[in-house]
Amino acid sequence: MRHKRTNLESELRANRPEPSHELVNRLEGRVREGRRSRAGSFRVAFAGALAAGVLAALASVGGLGYAATATGDAVDKAKRTVKSHGVLVVHKSPARDQYDKPKVKKKKKAKKKAKGRRFARPPFTG
Amino acid sequence: MLRVDPLRNPEPLIRRVYGYVAYRIGDGPDAEDITSETFERALRYQKSFDPQKGEPLAWLIGIARRLIEGRPPTLELAIDVPDRADAGDLEDDTLRRLAHSGAVARLEPRDRDLIALRYGADLTARQIAEELDLRTNAVEVALHRALGRLRETIGEPGDPPVRKQGTGR
Repeated sequence: MRHKRTNLESELRANRPEPSHELVNRLEGRVREGRRSRAGSFRVAFAGALAAGVLAALASVGGLGYAATATGDAVDKAKRTVKSHGVLVVHKSPARDQYDKPKVKKKKKAKKKAKGRRFARPPFTG
Repeated sequence: MLRVDPLRNPEPLIRRVYGYVAYRIGDGPDAEDITSETFERALRYQKSFDPQKGEPLAWLIGIARRLIEGRPPTLELAIDVPDRADAGDLEDDTLRRLAHSGAVARLEPRDRDLIALRYGADLTARQIAEELDLRTNAVEVALHRALGRLRETIGEPGDPPVRKQGTGR
């Protein structure tokens, strides 16, 4: 009796209805596809969370202001490097204050024509 | 916390879910539809899987059970068991499989469910007990009785009476 029972049980297991290959392949593909899309969205979420974490950490120690200043400096330096400039003229300096007073232009006096007697060659005497 | 992927190895899960569904509602397109829908739902609600509550198979079987129970009553099991006279071209095991499926189909829904859980999905008595919210011992007794009734349905000679089987364990 025991043998018979075992036999029926093993037959039930052995004769278990099997899915078609097509169904198995289709469902396996579907599961793989679902897993891929989930992994993709997980990657995006992870990158976003990481970026937010880094920003929060920087903000907590004033890193954002530092980063902004550093960026500004870098931009200035880049501008200075790229921009061509001529001779550096120092407009304000002690030396310039002392020696570089603006010259007053003297008006040339118009030669006055001698009135009356005019210097002339001495008379020929002889 | 590291999340466990319950569908990491889908092929054996597909086979066992299908085995369960086919023993419940019959081998064929309906069983394939229910199996497909089970995996669709599993993918959709994968986050709800809790490995501490049970194994992936038990979780999937739970989904399949709910789907079967939610089906309209018109889609009832209909398995044609071939006559012996038609069995000439069929392989022996195919004939036996159909005979078993047909016999399971004629069982009461509760017996059919137990047989499908035990031999279709290959769940242990403990897993079945968790699924049905019963004690393991009660499941073992109920399975024993269901097997006896199945034996009667198949018409195996020398079957012991079902009631004696249930009390004799």
